[in-house]
Amino acid sequence: MVIRMIKIKNLNAGYGKLQILFDINAKVEKGKITTVVGPNGSGKSTFLKTLFGLTKIYSGEIIFNNKNIAHVPPHQKARMKIAYLPQTNNVFADLTVEENLKIAGYVLDKDKVKERIEIALNIFPELKNILKRKAGTLSGGQRQFLAMGMALVRDAEVLMLDEPTAQLSPKLAEVIFGKIVEMRDEFGLTILLVEQNAKRALEISDNGYMFVSGKVAFEGTAEELLNHEKFKEYSLGITAL
Amino acid sequence: MIIEGAIIYSNLLVLLALGLTLTYITTNVPNFAQGSYAIVGSYVALTLLKLFGICPYLSLPVLFIVGAIVGLLTYLSLKPLIKRNASVEMLMIATLAIDLILLGVIGAYSEVLSQIVGSTQAKFVFANLDFSIFGFRGILFVSTLVVILLLFGLYLLLYKTKFGIALRASMENPSLAQTMGIDVEKTRLFSWILSGALAGVAGGLLPFMQEIVPATGDLIIISIFAASIVGGLRHISGALIGGYIIGISESLITYYLAMAFGAGFLVYGKVVSLIIMIATLLIAPYGITGVDWKKVRKRLFSQ
Repeated sequence: MVIRMIKIKNLNAGYGKLQILFDINAKVEKGKITTVVGPNGSGKSTFLKTLFGLTKIYSGEIIFNNKNIAHVPPHQKARMKIAYLPQTNNVFADLTVEENLKIAGYVLDKDKVKERIEIALNIFPELKNILKRKAGTLSGGQRQFLAMGMALVRDAEVLMLDEPTAQLSPKLAEVIFGKIVEMRDEFGLTILLVEQNAKRALEISDNGYMFVSGKVAFEGTAEELLNHEKFKEYSLGITAL
Repeated sequence: MIIEGAIIYSNLLVLLALGLTLTYITTNVPNFAQGSYAIVGSYVALTLLKLFGICPYLSLPVLFIVGAIVGLLTYLSLKPLIKRNASVEMLMIATLAIDLILLGVIGAYSEVLSQIVGSTQAKFVFANLDFSIFGFRGILFVSTLVVILLLFGLYLLLYKTKFGIALRASMENPSLAQTMGIDVEKTRLFSWILSGALAGVAGGLLPFMQEIVPATGDLIIISIFAASIVGGLRHISGALIGGYIIGISESLITYYLAMAFGAGFLVYGKVVSLIIMIATLLIAPYGITGVDWKKVRKRLFSQ
């Protein structure tokens, strides 16, 4: 039996009066990686922001653990074990790496934060030697490791990642994809991923959605999407297959 | 004597500029009422002195609380605008309106106080109440001590407590801070309360160095803005650096100009602050703390 983690019903959302998402219906399954792909401007990132409460919701429901959380503010969603990792500005540049990891566990008690930081440092050992450095001085790859480490510290059940491989070299992007799989397999995390590198993202995913112009164009298992004729057509405009 | 006055003035400017910078970073509001907050503190200190005989130095904890309440009320009145994503210009005009309200309230209150005590309280000083140590005025030691205690307290708060790190995180990136579960609203509220409290304390000390009238806040706001802008409105440390640069320059340059060309120049002290502010904006638009000093050093050494 499929255990649903998040169910999105007839969601309409946007920024102010500018509607971006139109009547979205989707589900995110527990312990699986669900990837949202689509051309630029299709509303992928807005979708994640909306789930986390960072846009205006006009109508629709976001059901999480049998509760409608559509209008719950972001800081309370963080307390509901939902973590969101933005595409850019995803670390605090003026804080040290250690402070960034600590603040990621803001809603947890002191001992739990310590425990989670140790777990994060085991998954991202690259951070161990740079704990006292300001995040603003890190390289792109180090920043992304820190951002994902912070997401792990949060002890979340659902992790929403907005283009975690953006602006990284193919080699580093591959490392990040490996870490995402590790987070699902080792910790049973439910991951909702938005990616431009559609083919590679779907290869590591269980399920997928294709967004076009703020609507779900088609959905299915990751394999179904990868083999879908329409996906191949659309993908030509997204990334080299 | 002039150096002593410059240090005292700078200490008070640091207190006021810190509040201005804090609320600007957290809520993007350039608060034109910051000077009047201080004058509210001055009049509360005067009231405690006249009605209860409490020395203004001893009334500083009360002024801290009164200032905090003024800061809180200001934030609550601006909150609907901030929520609607009002532009900086709109927020600036709103604080100007609050400043005018405060000016009117202080003016009316000074009349009421005059009637109660039976003599005019429209203008006053505390200098005659001050003590002295080795020929130096007490306000020099008290204002310096207040700034040291404040900086130490702020350091402990911002770097050693969970709430402080959350506050720094909210200042840098409120949207990301929210994703960490931080209630950004609380940190904004705190910054306004602290800003008002600091101004209240500064207001209690201000009459030890200059005459206070209800409109004094509107004159001192020029120096407060100059201090925050010269230091850099994006960093708290900017208020400290800017406060001393503006405070010392304004005092010394005005003094020497007055010595050279006559006492008439004393009236134009604020022009010095404005000129330094304009020069800084032209050379370093983000103030001293916004300069990439590594780049500057590299450029200097490569030449």
